[in-house]
Amino acid sequence: MSFMDFLNFHLVPGIVLGSVYAVGAIGITLVFGILRFAHFAHGDMATLGAFIALALVTAGLTPWTALPIAMAAVAVVAIGVDKLFYDYLKVRPKIMTVMASLGVALMLRAVVQVVFGVDPRTYATGIVRPDDYFGLLLRDRELYTLAAVVLIVVGLTLFLRHSRWGKAMRAMSDNPDLARLSGVDNRKVTMLTWAIVGALCAASGFMLGINNELHSMMGWQVLLPMFAAAILGGVGRVEGAVLGGLIVGIAEELSIFILPAQYKAATAFVLLLLILLVRPRGLLNGKVL
Amino acid sequence: MALLDMRAVRGGYGDADILHGVSITVGEREIVVIVGPNGAGKSTAMKAVFGLLKVRGGSIVFDGEDITAWAPDRIVQRGICYVPQVDNVFREMTVHENFEMGAFLRRGDLSAAFDRVYGLFPDLKAKRKNLAGDLSGGQRQMVAMGRALMLDPKLLLLDEPTAGLSPKYMEQIFQITRDVRDAGVSILLVEQHAKQALAFCDRGYVLATGANRHEGTGQALLADREVAEMFLGG
Repeated sequence: MSFMDFLNFHLVPGIVLGSVYAVGAIGITLVFGILRFAHFAHGDMATLGAFIALALVTAGLTPWTALPIAMAAVAVVAIGVDKLFYDYLKVRPKIMTVMASLGVALMLRAVVQVVFGVDPRTYATGIVRPDDYFGLLLRDRELYTLAAVVLIVVGLTLFLRHSRWGKAMRAMSDNPDLARLSGVDNRKVTMLTWAIVGALCAASGFMLGINNELHSMMGWQVLLPMFAAAILGGVGRVEGAVLGGLIVGIAEELSIFILPAQYKAATAFVLLLLILLVRPRGLLNGKVL
Repeated sequence: MALLDMRAVRGGYGDADILHGVSITVGEREIVVIVGPNGAGKSTAMKAVFGLLKVRGGSIVFDGEDITAWAPDRIVQRGICYVPQVDNVFREMTVHENFEMGAFLRRGDLSAAFDRVYGLFPDLKAKRKNLAGDLSGGQRQMVAMGRALMLDPKLLLLDEPTAGLSPKYMEQIFQITRDVRDAGVSILLVEQHAKQALAFCDRGYVLATGANRHEGTGQALLADREVAEMFLGG
């Protein structure tokens, strides 16, 4: 196999898949860091976002204009879910919220299945031939996916580093008691976090759908690799989630060199076990849970 | 009239009272220290001022206003800032960001507040981009005080600011506390190092089992034989 073949058929798909995982993992790491629980409904929120975008595409919008609307819609859904379920359990042990999020996952999936059915769908039909960039074969959707991920990561990083409420989110993740003593309103930070997490969910679901196909189990199936990415990078670290996402995505695509292709999905699990054994705080020294 | 007037305060975190009638006053530009044996309710008395306690009796008047049942965020806005004993900085944020978070409730131009804080802690100016968690214990304590001073409080509450610090840093923290006072802020602090603290404060209170035991100027308390025997190791 030539180097270009390796690049085109293994590394590029790995990077694209990894960037999608990264967007999901950022959301997981934000919930972990700021709200301090494992959010199992993350994957199904992504599914919901992908299908909302599908509804908009069916109504005549182009996929990439449907994306921001779907992100806003799922942001609202995420805030609603928090107000209806998680907020109510706030004073209980966190494990109850974790279990509730599993229930929310099932509910969201059921809604998608009732509204859109259980058959696989796509945003656009037909085969797209990749363009040749000096031997590097890339499809438009792959380019757009990578560009969108870079935009999201840079935007979010700037927001967290420099804006007033971004700093409040980091403060809440760093030292919640001191953040409250400084006058940070916990409820506002929680709402803002869910808005961002919901938008990120929709984006990851949409990108997963546009590079493959949509089906009602798609989000649930990427939940494990996304959690693996978040923990691999270090819980609470946005840049860690990006790094973790890329590593898991690339590792999955390269795993076929040593494992039968059916075991691709086990790669994330193996990586998760390894990092928990060797370096439980993750590559970039995240929180201990 | 005193800036802070805490009278016969009773209360605790849960149903049981920890404070059984504590009275403390702090005047303008005064450093007042609370000492006493472990379990005397020193930190608890301070937390009562900051609204972190269920107060079941007595009253707390600050600057002419009764703040007894107020929530901490409202007390902050009124002009009292509190520096907890542990976990008192944002470790993963820079020194400068820690100060910014201290001024979270304040809108508008913060440059005067930054100048003041960096003026009090010149060592931190060079480290403004360092993460607070990477600093030494003494410098972290300065960040914690600086964060609390960003809101320009009239009264600063310090919970054992020298706990775990070397004698050199302890002296430095006391000196900074004086500087802060000279800048016009009254200070109420709880101290484990009773001797050193009484030597540097204006007035002191000795608490035991949740009630006032002795009070007076630092020098008078140091000279008091009973205080010396009880708390200062002879």
